[in-house]
Amino acid sequence: MPPYQGGGDMIESVTFEKTTYAELPNKFEAGTPHIAGAVGLGAAVDYLHKVGFDGIGSHEADLLAYGTEALADVDGLRLIGTAAEKASILSFVMEGAHPHDIGTIVDRDGVAIRTGHHCTQPVMDRFDIPATARASIAMYNTRDELDALARALKRVREMFPA
Amino acid sequence: MSDLRDLYQEVILDHNKHPHNFGELNDADRHADGFNPLCGDKLVVYVNFDDEVITDVSFVGSGCAISKASASLMTDAVKGKTVTEARGLFEEFLSLVTDDKAQLNHATLGKLAVFEGVRDYPTRVKCASLAWHTLRAAVEDRHEVVTTE
Repeated sequence: MPPYQGGGDMIESVTFEKTTYAELPNKFEAGTPHIAGAVGLGAAVDYLHKVGFDGIGSHEADLLAYGTEALADVDGLRLIGTAAEKASILSFVMEGAHPHDIGTIVDRDGVAIRTGHHCTQPVMDRFDIPATARASIAMYNTRDELDALARALKRVREMFPA
Repeated sequence: MSDLRDLYQEVILDHNKHPHNFGELNDADRHADGFNPLCGDKLVVYVNFDDEVITDVSFVGSGCAISKASASLMTDAVKGKTVTEARGLFEEFLSLVTDDKAQLNHATLGKLAVFEGVRDYPTRVKCASLAWHTLRAAVEDRHEVVTTE
């Protein structure tokens, strides 16, 4: 396979007669590698180890339980994906309000969520829905933020009555 | 920052809930499909003509409030207009939702002016304009699926 671009470190020898490319993977890794990114990734992994995966896991599990309860308080909201050991994700639909409208409205309240089919069209078909709104909970999130989400969703409900 | 109510005006919420001219047009002279695969908005626009005049127009489909209300208000706006008038309205509508410096003709736009708030939400322009691009494809008898993404 010919290299897709030229640059530093992707050749072995070059003459007017013949060019030999470097062995894989170098042949396809022309130029300066993403050094800052690799160092940053290393620092992020160190940081996660320092915080500890057990602590992160229990924090996320706590927020998931808290958020699930907070969202149960919103009229006509249905969670999509309710497996017992699921990751800390709250995917949902609301009767009468399209996920993209939900996303725009909660965004105005400072809550950033993902909306759409999440590259899982077969799952959308399975549930017979066009899309979902989805809040992903991570180690840096808080209970207050989930309260803010629930408040914003009640605003959606006011604008789009079920 | 504009108020959310500038985007979701009552007229838009009403048309989302009770869209006008919603349903297939039997034996339509022309129709075209519009689809935004990333967000899933999907519609079909049907048109009947009498010479140059759009005598009837309807749509079916599903999508967010903005896309549905836009399709609904569009069908109201172009019914009875000539193809040339409809084209002019489409141009005016695009300026309305994308260009905050545009000199708008509110008399021509009529109810369509409720979409003025869309220009403050660039990610929603594609929702508001899908029906119009699809109508144009139907009028021009183009058969590829229209997208605004």
